[in-house]
Amino acid sequence: MSGPIERVAVYGGGIAAPMAALAVARAYGRLGTQVTWVDTGEAPPPYAALVALPDLAAFHRLLGIGDAALIEAASATLNMGQQFVGWSGGDAAFLHAYGDAGTPFASLPLVQHWTRARQAGLRVALEDFCLAAAAAKQGRIGELRDPATRQAVKHGWHLDATSYAALLRAACERAGVTIVQGNGAQPHAASGKLDRIVLADGAAVTADLFVDADGALTGLLDPGGAAEGDGFCDRIIRGSAAGLDPLPLYSRVTAHEAGWVTLIPLGDRLAVEIVYDSRRMPDDAARAVMEQVAGRRMEAGAAEALSATVRSRPWVANCIPIGRAAGDAPLLDGAELLLLQLAVAQLVLLWPIDRYTMPESDIYNEELSGSHARVRDFAAQHFRLNGRDGEPFWDAARAAPISAELASKIDLFAARGMFAHFNYEAHVEDGWALCMTGHGVLPRSFDPQALLVDDQALMAEFQRQLRAIAAEVRGMETHAEALTRIRSGAT
Amino acid sequence: MGRPFELVIVGGGTAGWMCAAACAAKLVPAGVRVRLVESEEIGTVGVGEATLPQMKDFNDFLGLDEVEFMKATQASFKLGIEFVNWGRDGQRYIHPFGTYGRPVGEADFFSYWIRARRAGVAARLDDYCFPIVTAWQNRFMLPNGDPNDVRNAFAYAYHLDAFLYARYLRGWSETRGIERVEGRIVEVERDGESGAIAAVKLASGERVAGDFFIDCSGFRSLLLGSMLGVELEDWSHWLPCDSAQAVPCARSQDFTPYTRSTRRKAGWQWRIPLQHRTGNGYVYSSAHVSDDEAAATLLANLDGEALAEPRVLRFKAGKRRLAWSHNCIGMGLAGGFLEPLESTSIYLVQMAIMHMLTLLPSGEGIDPALPAEFNRVMDVEYDRIRDFLILHYIANEADAPLWEHVTAVDLPDTLKGKIERFRHRGHVQAYRDGLFGPPSWQAVFVGQGIEPLAADRLADVLPGDLLAQRLEALAATITRGAGSAPSHADFVARYCPAPAL
Repeated sequence: MSGPIERVAVYGGGIAAPMAALAVARAYGRLGTQVTWVDTGEAPPPYAALVALPDLAAFHRLLGIGDAALIEAASATLNMGQQFVGWSGGDAAFLHAYGDAGTPFASLPLVQHWTRARQAGLRVALEDFCLAAAAAKQGRIGELRDPATRQAVKHGWHLDATSYAALLRAACERAGVTIVQGNGAQPHAASGKLDRIVLADGAAVTADLFVDADGALTGLLDPGGAAEGDGFCDRIIRGSAAGLDPLPLYSRVTAHEAGWVTLIPLGDRLAVEIVYDSRRMPDDAARAVMEQVAGRRMEAGAAEALSATVRSRPWVANCIPIGRAAGDAPLLDGAELLLLQLAVAQLVLLWPIDRYTMPESDIYNEELSGSHARVRDFAAQHFRLNGRDGEPFWDAARAAPISAELASKIDLFAARGMFAHFNYEAHVEDGWALCMTGHGVLPRSFDPQALLVDDQALMAEFQRQLRAIAAEVRGMETHAEALTRIRSGAT
Repeated sequence: MGRPFELVIVGGGTAGWMCAAACAAKLVPAGVRVRLVESEEIGTVGVGEATLPQMKDFNDFLGLDEVEFMKATQASFKLGIEFVNWGRDGQRYIHPFGTYGRPVGEADFFSYWIRARRAGVAARLDDYCFPIVTAWQNRFMLPNGDPNDVRNAFAYAYHLDAFLYARYLRGWSETRGIERVEGRIVEVERDGESGAIAAVKLASGERVAGDFFIDCSGFRSLLLGSMLGVELEDWSHWLPCDSAQAVPCARSQDFTPYTRSTRRKAGWQWRIPLQHRTGNGYVYSSAHVSDDEAAATLLANLDGEALAEPRVLRFKAGKRRLAWSHNCIGMGLAGGFLEPLESTSIYLVQMAIMHMLTLLPSGEGIDPALPAEFNRVMDVEYDRIRDFLILHYIANEADAPLWEHVTAVDLPDTLKGKIERFRHRGHVQAYRDGLFGPPSWQAVFVGQGIEPLAADRLADVLPGDLLAQRLEALAATITRGAGSAPSHADFVARYCPAPAL
């Protein structure tokens, strides 16, 4: 027996379910595939905001989501990076900008020359050679033609989760997704695979393939498949304060004694969330820290539990988990949307040929487990490299075990400013360089080929790059101007 | 810094002089003292006469002039490798240095080809590949630089005399500060405490000391293997060929811009056309054919007069467990051996050199992260090539004892499942680093008779008649483009004629 996938059921709510339903309907609806979204009614948590990396912009084109609509309907603002404050103790801050860590020079990444110059006493941070970082810190953004820095400036988005979910839902309706009310629905399995979802009114949704954005379907087929990982923090409170003016082009992650506070600037408010270890910080104290970091009055929701589950074999039989159902994402570096997007993209790419046998599951599971592991590594570097000595939470975070891959990355960067690349990398090496140097890692040595450049020529090149960055930033538009332009549909 | 860092290269074959040349370009001007010790008494192996396109990057990196280099090495151009009788007798295909097709719709070209093939409206895969169509007509041109033209969608490599290449690089390096030390090594001195190599002693009594050593001593692996005791990881259960006989013959009329590999009863035979002669060799498993019979088979299958007696080489497939141990890196045959079925020998030397240049320690002491990374990336390179070579062996009719043997062995984990995935939907994993990309896997799978049963469903969106039209137009464009290229012989005669030797 063989035959194509004809009917798909997407189960869940939030962002993940409509995103998956939309992607599948747009890709395969043309071939007659029917998509039903069994909406469990789960809404994004109150006050929640999302950090979307630049890759989401390209994905949105596939989904048919326009930039103007994001600004109009999801309070979107532009996101050029994430700033880390206080992770080394004190007020020290660095920006993980989505751009180049300097312009390569004499056939080597700038970090090699920078390392050499730092050892000789240079005091300029690597971040200062990053056009995107300089622009973001000055509230400027814009793509230049033929920039002297030869650096790209990319941006992602900050999104209001509730209205982004509504936007995706509306797009699902336009794309022909059948949406059914799934409150109280019951999934049923037979002989190791999902069979149907019975709705509260008794109607049954049958499908060849089930996409699980909730976790209940996967849990039914593979009850022991989720392992609890190390999340450092077990609780989150989300809130909201009056919006910032001018609007920053980056979110800010400020460390506190037992976790961190993230500030995400939206068009109509400032989203605030505190992530903390409740064994070291009571909820009331967390609320106070939240308000103190935000520096303004705010309203906030209830404290919610956080989990950090890992699934090594997400796709089982005819059930494909995406988003949280495939494993929790770290709460830093835009990981949540990044992993969701990667899962949905793989789902579309690996769309099963045959509804009776789905060997695609092995490929999906390798890809997704690999991506999850590499994304977890990126988040874990912040904990491993933190410099808040003497604070129990941070001392424990620094000592926590890390993957062999992350250990190789940190060791090699610390030794030589280079990158150990593995499969399934989700972040570019310049992002790693900005973070690791931001956390205070200064490579102990550099590529011997850097010595082919003499000191004077190197200083001249540094000055040239810094001047070019300053000039290019001056020619950019402000965040508000950029939002107005995008909203008007101009490019 | 006080005294300069001292690097010693042991052995002056292709690997040694490639390494020396890279040092001359990038380390000597940065203040490193580099010496190369070699003995004229010791011959070099020099079978690696067919290369990959990456070699052009290496020459460009050094700043070599292509025409001068090709004249000096009797080089010709290479657009790919033709595999004859692989899969089953009578079959032939080319593994090209280029991609198949061009964008047809939102799925990748290969998916459209699968769909059209299943529907009976596709020509063979090779017909949609400019370098293949051009190669089969014995024509050649350089990529024309127009990103929208099929005549730009390829890369090229060289066939060259590796011995002449080493000699050319020696001259180039010696004028750029590489000190050549003539002499046979009789003793290797190690530091009592660290175990690091301290110096090599020559028959003349001269002692050559260094901070860091590159072992390019060939199969003997004088420093890495013999002295530091780094063992060979034996891969002969997957790749059982352990012998080769090589013989040059007179150049024939058939001046192919591609290497040919012909499957034989107990291995395979190579054919590499150079300007002054054609290189040939039979790689075989000594358990499955005698040396005499192998020699006879080789000599019976030349397309020109043999210019020497066949020379026998013995080897074992595998790589040293550590490519870098203590203060020593093994390159070329000293670091490992993989049969030249995909012309990877010089590529592996090149990769070792490029990683060495960036990871070389700068003073006393070696940061352990540096060898760890070097060994990791070299392992990736070796493992990937190994798997790709094994694929050639297992995707075959088991029509002789060697071929029965190789199709029955348990595969490396990294190769398991790949054939099933390809057959199911044409899936090939794209790697972050290392050889080979999806078009190479597609070439070998399809060329050896493993065809996907279905394609990515996104390829179904394009209406069938439109797909057939587009494929036909593409094949016509490629045929026309190939026809516009001059013959390989004419091109070489005009571009880089080498002096008669």
